[in-house]
Amino acid sequence: MPRPEPKTITFTIDGREVQAPENAMLVDAAKHGDVEIPVFCYEPKLGNPVGACRMCLVEIEGIGKLQTGCSTPVKDGMVVNTQSERVKEAQRSVVEFLLINHPLDCPVCDKGGECPLQDISFGWGGGISRFIEPKRHFVKPLELSPTIAIDRERCILCYRCVRFSQEISEDYQLVLLERGAHSFVSTFDGHPYVAPFSGNIIELCPVGALTSRSYRFRARPWDIEDAGTVCTLCPAQCNVKLTVRDERVMRVLSREHSEVDDGWLCDHGRFAYPALAEGVGQRVPVGADPTIEVLSGAGDGHGAPARALVEPAPAAEQAIAAPVLAAPAANPHGVHVGMRVREPLLRDGGELRPVTWERALSEAGVALKRAGANSAALAGGGTTNEEGLLLARLLREGLGSPHVDSRASSSLALELARELAEPSLQAKVSDLEFAHAVLLLDCEPLRDAPILDLRLRKGVRRHGLKLERVSGDDLDALREAATRLHDEAGEELVIVWGERFVAGADGAARARALLELAQALSLGESDGAGLLEIPATANGRGLREAGVLPDAAPGLRPAGDDGLGTRAIAEALAAGRLSALYLLQTDPLQEGDPFQAAAEETPWAEALERASTVVAQTTLLTAGVHEHANVVFPAESYAEKEGTVTHPDGRVQRVRQAVARAGSTRAGWQVLAELAEQVGFDSGVRNEREASQELFNAVPFYGEMTLEELGGRGARWQERDHASAFATTATSGRQVGADSGGADDGGHTDASQQPTAEPDTFSGAEVEQHAAGGEPDADPAAAAEHAASEDLASGRSGSESSGDGTPGEHGSTGKEGE
Amino acid sequence: MSPVPRIPGGERASGWDRPADLEKDPALIPDLASTNVPDELRRQVEDLMSRYPDRHSAAIPALHAAQELHGWCSPEAIEQVAAVMQVTPAYLDSVASFYDMLENHPVGKHSVYVCTNISCSLRGADALLEAVVAAAGDDAEFNVRAFECLGACDIAPMASVDGVYVGPLELSDVPQLLEDTRSGRPVLPAKQLATKLVADPNANSQQFPQHAIEEGSR
Amino acid sequence: MSEMLLFKDIDQPGLNTLSVYEARGGYASLRKALAMTPADVLAELEASGLRGRGGAGFQMGKKVSFLPKGAMDKYLVCNADESEPGTFKDRELMQKNPHVLIEGIVIASYAAGAERSFIYIRGEYVHQADIIDAALAEAREAGFVGERILGSEHTLSLHVHRGAGAYICGEETGLLDSLEGKRGNPRLKPPFPANQGLYQGPTLINNVETLSTVPSIIEMGGGEYAELGVQTSTGTKLVSVSGHVQRPGNYEIELGIPSRELIYDLAGGPLPGHEIKCWFPGGSSSPVLTPADLDVPYDFDSMAKAGSMLGSGAIIVVDDSTPIVDLALKVAKFYRHESCGKCTPCREGTNWTVKMLERIDNGEATPMDLDIMASVQDHIIGNCLCVLGDAMAMPIGSLIAKFREEFEAHIEAARARGELALAGANGGGPHPGVSYESAQALGEELR
Repeated sequence: MPRPEPKTITFTIDGREVQAPENAMLVDAAKHGDVEIPVFCYEPKLGNPVGACRMCLVEIEGIGKLQTGCSTPVKDGMVVNTQSERVKEAQRSVVEFLLINHPLDCPVCDKGGECPLQDISFGWGGGISRFIEPKRHFVKPLELSPTIAIDRERCILCYRCVRFSQEISEDYQLVLLERGAHSFVSTFDGHPYVAPFSGNIIELCPVGALTSRSYRFRARPWDIEDAGTVCTLCPAQCNVKLTVRDERVMRVLSREHSEVDDGWLCDHGRFAYPALAEGVGQRVPVGADPTIEVLSGAGDGHGAPARALVEPAPAAEQAIAAPVLAAPAANPHGVHVGMRVREPLLRDGGELRPVTWERALSEAGVALKRAGANSAALAGGGTTNEEGLLLARLLREGLGSPHVDSRASSSLALELARELAEPSLQAKVSDLEFAHAVLLLDCEPLRDAPILDLRLRKGVRRHGLKLERVSGDDLDALREAATRLHDEAGEELVIVWGERFVAGADGAARARALLELAQALSLGESDGAGLLEIPATANGRGLREAGVLPDAAPGLRPAGDDGLGTRAIAEALAAGRLSALYLLQTDPLQEGDPFQAAAEETPWAEALERASTVVAQTTLLTAGVHEHANVVFPAESYAEKEGTVTHPDGRVQRVRQAVARAGSTRAGWQVLAELAEQVGFDSGVRNEREASQELFNAVPFYGEMTLEELGGRGARWQERDHASAFATTATSGRQVGADSGGADDGGHTDASQQPTAEPDTFSGAEVEQHAAGGEPDADPAAAAEHAASEDLASGRSGSESSGDGTPGEHGSTGKEGE
Repeated sequence: MSPVPRIPGGERASGWDRPADLEKDPALIPDLASTNVPDELRRQVEDLMSRYPDRHSAAIPALHAAQELHGWCSPEAIEQVAAVMQVTPAYLDSVASFYDMLENHPVGKHSVYVCTNISCSLRGADALLEAVVAAAGDDAEFNVRAFECLGACDIAPMASVDGVYVGPLELSDVPQLLEDTRSGRPVLPAKQLATKLVADPNANSQQFPQHAIEEGSR
Repeated sequence: MSEMLLFKDIDQPGLNTLSVYEARGGYASLRKALAMTPADVLAELEASGLRGRGGAGFQMGKKVSFLPKGAMDKYLVCNADESEPGTFKDRELMQKNPHVLIEGIVIASYAAGAERSFIYIRGEYVHQADIIDAALAEAREAGFVGERILGSEHTLSLHVHRGAGAYICGEETGLLDSLEGKRGNPRLKPPFPANQGLYQGPTLINNVETLSTVPSIIEMGGGEYAELGVQTSTGTKLVSVSGHVQRPGNYEIELGIPSRELIYDLAGGPLPGHEIKCWFPGGSSSPVLTPADLDVPYDFDSMAKAGSMLGSGAIIVVDDSTPIVDLALKVAKFYRHESCGKCTPCREGTNWTVKMLERIDNGEATPMDLDIMASVQDHIIGNCLCVLGDAMAMPIGSLIAKFREEFEAHIEAARARGELALAGANGGGPHPGVSYESAQALGEELR
């Protein structure tokens, strides 16, 4: 379906000629001339303007009445005035009208300081009110849902929240009742507003009428800092802005990215953070909704929000019923299931107890070294690409074991995985909106990547997208549906498939069928068509590309020696053929963890029981880890972490540290690098920048990526020049990062090049040299920037993050810090 | 819940002070199979939906039908209609609360709408309303309401009794009006609008050619 | 005596039945129209100069011509939500002559190329809706409505849709939302209904009287129809006269006769012993006129020139027995009750105005409040989403402007009464003032 391609026109606003896209609404077009037209009800994300608040009245030459800037498309030659006395009087009068029944309780209002009504009253209001009649008073605040409080005195009836419920999430639970001045926002007969995306109405509300029950009275806008990062609780990887006060994340807001999340968040992403940071055992102050206190998986939190709205597959329903841990009982050392791990733990006398880092590292190192090639590792949850890379190296190069995997369920051979990841075949998020048709194959967006559910609804609602679901169990039905959609709806067909499609024994056959179908329908040739895989884990795509696969080196290149995949690892452990297991942010015994969810017939219980060494790196102490781990390293929550993740559509995004790490937690990369040292392997990584650099060097199609380039918006690698490196590395042998980083990646076609790892190339010395610009092939500009950034440490306590070109600088209130 | 301090002249609409009951489930589209919908209502609503290109258009007539059955748009009534129409109850509640003739609270079965808009009030409608309210007293059978212009200013002051327009009403008509209604007789037959001729003297309505009447009745 | 088109035979017993209607020549215009091309029918409508009888006075033929041509789902909606206070002409037509409306709808739909049609009738008109339903059944039976009408290519489905009591549904886009089963909130324009109306399809919306006039236009020809009335206000018009007159009722007049003739000669003038104080020429939304304006010709343009409007053609006469403040309060309360609440100036402005008027009535105001009230009306006019806000602000504004002295006298008198009462209650002591605490205590008592 054709994307809108606006042409630029020139119009006059307040006496100045301004260029703007044709048919943009005046409110938006005015911004091109740095003119702000105040609005309350206008929010383009919510669909067509409604023109209800009347705040945006402007004068247009040739039209008698004042017009609403939110609903008037700009035309070439239009002459607009926002500064005339007539307009100003109208603006003053609208503010006066709005404040008639507004309680003006700003000093005790949670929105105070970040309130559009305050700002607009200050900027455009008359400063006085002539209203001396009694105002309305009623009970406030009231519960609207377990997470949202409503204050109907403050409501200015802008319609945003009800439009969201009715037209965006389409749950139609939130409505206006009564009429005229008596109208109020409510649900039916006192039912709570519980829906997967309900929290967005808090952010939409332009006054303090809808507030977050967990954030109420926790901070004032001048007490807080904003920190941009990426939520890694599910593969949707929504861009978020964390509100930080005193090194604690107080709330999660959307950091709109039209290519990722379209400016929305699911309730899980919005409200689950405290549970992840604090663990359970202390009550999380977000109300009574069990879906919010969810602890699902080791820091993965991959349980979907409350309820599916349309056609919830029975399986999805079950997965949605998220587990709630029972009140945990602590051992004498204060260690209990569900707690946030804040310091290393060591099993001693059958019980886990806190130990020093040195002790834990050395114990783990000794045990792993002993197991050597009989070690295996799994990475899940919000593991970053860098951590994945280092884990794979620890195993392959430190321990000589290729048994490392990041796939919860599938075990496709590299060749097929590569074909499925072919850049031309990859659909991107915005294709879900504009495609002619989308076929969901073994995938339930609401569960697997909730925010895509809204994107698909938008496509259906606004662009007539045809949406169908099909089960992978019947390949004929799949072919029939895809072909029919392609023939009837249009050639831009996107097949969104869940990782579980290829999970079974016939995964390879299914993958081939899908590839043949894509070929037959030429999905790779049309821009808006393609495949989009939703991996089972949040950073599934990135971890595979970083080489957390038993048969692949970074960049999906053949590794030469094929190790065991997830299921085979479990079986080998259970059979005693492997003896040690490293669990990076996953627990295959934890209900809700993708590895557990996908492992019905996998003998994980036996595997962990029999393994002589289990080392876990986890945010929360899950039951399996609590039961079986010999050593537990604390892992960072995503708000504490620095690194990159890769979106299912190939967008490499930065995860930025927003708060200090809990307790004595060390960075994930650091733990892995130190552990590597313990087993006698120098990873060469000394800080998080170097870790990222290693990644960009190691993955050919991430070539010459820099953190600065990724910035706050990320970059889709398929759209970069280095995407061509994907094709040329299909048959190349194992390469090492330092080589591919400096030179032209296109040149690495020689399969004989460096078949084995060469630890020396990762030496710290060389990286130091690189950073100083001494490396001849290094980009001098990037290196200089790099060097400069070392001095630009942001200075946030406990944080080692640097402050350049990053999303949402601390203290900035902008949506992004680019 | 502590009482809300009110000051004279302050106002409240019902529902403003009502929080959500967090013990309840969210109100999603009811499942028709598991919702107890009277057959007749279901048939009516389905018939209404079939008249329109979009089934939502049936909302108002469907709520009317449910109100006939339940006496008012009770939560139960709304849920039943929602189940047949496959919409959320909130959607219907929102519609029902917008319109004056859809009742959001239990009311008497006989509705007496006394028009108190300008033309009627110029001719004594306010006193009439008072008289009707006083005469109906606590009788739970009656739903006496002041209503906006009912479109019968030619018979001001007037009232609509269960949909039948009567006027011009004297205060002395009130007992008869209520009695007729109670007993199910035609209400004030001599004062019904349906019997009234057009006021326009030029309309010549009385001199209609006889032959046309005869032709018409053939 | 003026020509009778709509009221010809109006009181003939049984006119609401098909047999009597046909006997007096009914449905002949439909046969005539179906023998013409839709374009020719449209040409007649345009030639007639017929202006919409619902309130806005837009030329009907032009409105039809705005509909896009070509094959698509087009709709015709008859606005029978007659709820402008003082207006009851459509009720009379529907109740007594439903077939002329049906015939007009079929002809108009033929000209507009619409195949689906609805009559949106206000819920209060139970009797009238029943009559139309019965007439429709007859018309369907006789082949005047339905598939291939009278053997032509024209097909029309027609249904009666009953509203549920909301003035705003008389506003055409509020009506469309209501017909779609939503709250009757007006929509933002553009897009206009002619392009995106009912179910987003092109939609023609006309008032009952307008559509009921169509058969006469086809019968006599648009040109001849245009001979009636005055140049820019052609034809005859039903006028509802109510309030303080001796013979309230509907009168069919040729547009352009002096208003005095209507109020005095037809409606019998004011009640004995009283004088006219003011009058609304076009329903309660029109700015009031005074006895000085009685000789203004009753047509669209003359009324506009006099500072008011013809509106729906409903004259409400108010005599000298009525305090202006009472009148203003009645008007304002009505619009507050009927404001849909969607846009700010209307929702808050009507509410505020009522509160100020109540204060004026209670003796708690000063003349300065009149200035504020007038300025609030100015801030409403032209700044709302639809015309409901203006519909209150225009008459209230005109009342303040034309009767300011009476407002001021009312304020003074009410204040004096209030102070007297307080003085009595406090044994002649000083004005006690009203503290928040005392007010609250009073509130507790009232609870």
